[in-house]
Order: sequence, then structure tokens, then C-alpha cells
Amino acid sequence: MVADGSDSDAGDTPPSFGPVRGRFISRGRLAARSAYWLAALLAPRPLERPAPVTSGVVRELDLLGFGAIKLVAASALLVGLITVFQAAYQLAPYGAEVVSGRALAWFVAREIGPIVVAILVVARSAAAIAGEFASMSANGEIDALRVMGLDPVKYLVTPKLAALLIALPSLTAIAVALAVVGGWIGMSVVLGYNTNLYLEHLHESLALRDVGVGLAKSLLFAGIIGIVAADEGLRVDRRVASIGAAATRSVVYCLLGVLGADTAVNALVYFIPGLT
Amino acid sequence: MTTARAASEPNASVPPALEVRDLTGPAQSPVLRDVSLHVRHGGVHVVLAPMHSGKSLLLRLLLGLERAQRGTVSVDDATFDAANPDENDLRRVHRRVGVMFDSSALVSRLTLLENVELPLVEHTTVGGTAIHDVAAALLQDVGVVRDADRTPDELSRLDRRRAALARALALDPALVMIDEPGNGLDPHAATEFDETLRALHDRFAWGLLICTQEVRYAFRWPESVSVLVAGRIVEQGSLDQLLNSGHATVRRFVDRRGAA
Repeated sequence: MVADGSDSDAGDTPPSFGPVRGRFISRGRLAARSAYWLAALLAPRPLERPAPVTSGVVRELDLLGFGAIKLVAASALLVGLITVFQAAYQLAPYGAEVVSGRALAWFVAREIGPIVVAILVVARSAAAIAGEFASMSANGEIDALRVMGLDPVKYLVTPKLAALLIALPSLTAIAVALAVVGGWIGMSVVLGYNTNLYLEHLHESLALRDVGVGLAKSLLFAGIIGIVAADEGLRVDRRVASIGAAATRSVVYCLLGVLGADTAVNALVYFIPGLT
Repeated sequence: MTTARAASEPNASVPPALEVRDLTGPAQSPVLRDVSLHVRHGGVHVVLAPMHSGKSLLLRLLLGLERAQRGTVSVDDATFDAANPDENDLRRVHRRVGVMFDSSALVSRLTLLENVELPLVEHTTVGGTAIHDVAAALLQDVGVVRDADRTPDELSRLDRRRAALARALALDPALVMIDEPGNGLDPHAATEFDETLRALHDRFAWGLLICTQEVRYAFRWPESVSVLVAGRIVEQGSLDQLLNSGHATVRRFVDRRGAA
């Protein structure tokens, strides 16, 4: 009893942001099942890695990862420039404009890189994931999988989650590198400082641990985006009108989840000695 | 209400392909009431119903996708309590059923071949090559093997219906359930699909349950027909019995659409 497309009133249906507790429970379950199937995907037994799942990971990696490279690259370059200009503007009254590069490297690797990439991926893919699952639900595809004894989490969610877990750290590494290039353009080409000085500051301020923290954050963000978007898409009823609302909720909850997790990680790193 | 039976009496020792008893549901606010159906192995039963009379819901209840208020569903030698389905019972029933939903419901991201391979990958232990061969043979049987590497979005509705039928047959089911076989097909394409369905049924002889609003299916498979109106089966028997039914709604429904 799927609603006919002509009956769709997706644009008129405000998304409902129902009880929070139910959502946490639902996402916890989905995360546990996804973790199980991800582990099975990495298991050595070939039957645990059916072709539709492995080819799904490749396909999703292409869509969610490679498809986002241009957007991430352009954004990271601009973010590097913006950060350097802002740092230089704030530091100029103290005559410390020259150390803007130091602030950039640390800040981009630990904070701006992972968060910007996560926000771009949310903007680009979270609504798409939720919308795809919601439309599959409306089209009876999810029911068909269940009737065939196929776990939708294994065949639909796991490939997307695996692709995000590979794509986000990779995109973050690219974003950090290009933000540093953007910072160099700002410092050397626009503000006129020596390139060697910029590289020296970069080398002094950027520790491997900063890059590690940034990449670890991006893994966490990938998990949040994958689980939240999939859960929003899978939990809708079988009406076409639900698709748009699921996509909207997915973006809202993914952004809140990413920012909330970033705050929690920053608090943890700040307050636990040895992690800073 | 008479229980529909095949033309020949079934062997008592062989369980029917489908036996439904007193199905009433969904649990919260029942739309269907006291539905009983019987499909013998190799038999065909057509459930005729006007729009919005609950035929898609019937299919969902039969598959345990919605919880019923009461009733039992048996497929071959597996049974589940529709009001309180046990996961293992449901799994055993699903393993014996092939389903074709009205929207075809192929996984849109996968190719036709991958769609048909899915149940084989999950439920068999044979290797990848054997699975590929079985899936390709099924696509050949339904006439879409040339499109095996294309996704459903690239195909006509008829080819999507054919591929969905191939997927429903992948696990050699005891029963095939089809919701609106001709959904979205023009008359020529619908006839082509019917011929494919009939040829495969004659060859493999699974039990077949067709839920539809198109009376022509009752004329095509006249041995056993139920008419579902407003959530109740108001008449059950052969097409001849329905044409001479004392129930005015049934007579009007069958006469008018059958003539068309």
C-alpha cells in the first residue's frame, strides 16, 4: 500500500522530531548490528563477504568518497586562506602576524579539517542516504529483503558505513593538506611572508599526534553520519511523503551528532592530562 | 464460506503449499477479518479484490511483515502464529516462499544478476560461480538475461517484473505470492508477463497465490478464486461458482471486469 507518487505531499509535511530516547535506542541497535557485519566483512571466510556487499562498498566509496573530493579540496583551500587571514587580523595588533601559520596548522589538523569535511559530507550525503533508504522502504525493497531472509543492515547499511569509514579520514587528510596550501597562499602570496618561515612554523607546530586526533575524530564522525542517516531512512513508514522528512531529519541529527561528538572529544582531550 | 480447493483433491499426507486459518489483522485495528485460504502444491489461487480492500495488507500479514490479531499461516511444512510470530518459524516460512511485490521491489542499486544472486548468496553454501550460473539461468527463463548487468532503473516495467519473478524463484520455493502481476503494465506487456508466468508455473509447479483487482486472472486460472471485499472473503470457489454467486457484489464485480 505504497502511496502513489501523485499523492505525495512531501513538501507540505513538516518533519517530526519525535522522542529522543527511542532514537538513541534505535541507533544503538543499528550501530551494534553494523559493527557485527563490518567485523564479518573483514573476516577471512569468503562466504562472510558476499559479492553484493563488497561491490557495494566499492560503489559507495565512489559515490560518498571520490564524489566529494572536488568539493572538499576547494573548501579546504578556502578554509586555509580564511583561517590565516583571521589569525593574522587578530595577531597583527601584537605584532605576531608572522605566527599565523602556527595557529593554522594545529587548528586545521585537530579541528577544522575533520569538522569541515564532516559537515560537507553531511550536506552532500546524509540526506541522500536517508532519502535512498526511505524511498526503498516506500517502494517495498526493504520488505522484499526481509522476506528473503536478508538483513538490510548487512546489505544496505554496512557498505555505506564501510565506505564512510574509509572516505572520511582520507578526505580529512586531503583537506588538511590543502588547507595548509591555502594557508601558504595567504601567508606568502597575499601577506608577503617568506615561504621557508611558513614551513618552519608549520614543522614546529604540527605534531603527528594532532593529525592522529583529527583522523580519529573523522572516524567517529563517519560512524555518526552513517548510523544516523541510515536509521532515519530505515525508520520511516511506507509513504512517499515520508522521504523528504526523513532526509531533513537526517541532516539535522547528523549535524547535531557531529558537533556534539566534537565537543565531547575536545572536552575529553582538554581535561585528561597527557592527551593535549 | 467454502474453503477453496484445487480441482483434484490433495493428498492428505502432503501439506498444502499454503494454508491460512482465520487470519484477522492488523493487531491494533483489524482491516481483514477471518480470512482462510488454501493453495495445494502446484495449484493456483486467485484473490480478487477491488482497490483498497486489503489485498496488499493480506500479503503483508501472510508474510509476517505486519502482526495480526489472530490466525495461523502454513507454507509447505512450516507454520507461524500470525499474532505472535516466532522468528525461527517466520524464517522457515520465508525460506519456502517467493514473493513478487506490486512495485517489483528490486534493489535499485544492484544489477539484475546481483538481485537474483542475493537470496542464493545468503541461503546456500555453493560457490560464487554456481550462484552466478543459477541466477543467469533464472534470468534466461524469464527472458531478461541480456540485461543481467543492468540496474532496474534502466529497464522497462515488464523487464523489472520479469526480474522480480526470477528473484522470487531463486530458492526453489514451495509457494510463490504475487501482488498485482500486471501492475503498471500495458495490456500487451501484461499478456507477455502472464505467458511467462504460466510457462514457468507449468514447468516448476509451485503453489501460486495471486492477489489482484484484475478479473482476467480469474479467467486465466479459474480453478480456485476468492473475492475479498471490505476486508472479508465474501465468496470462494471456482470461477463458475463465482459467476453464479448469490452475492450481488461478487456477481457485479466479476461480470463487469470479466467482460472487459
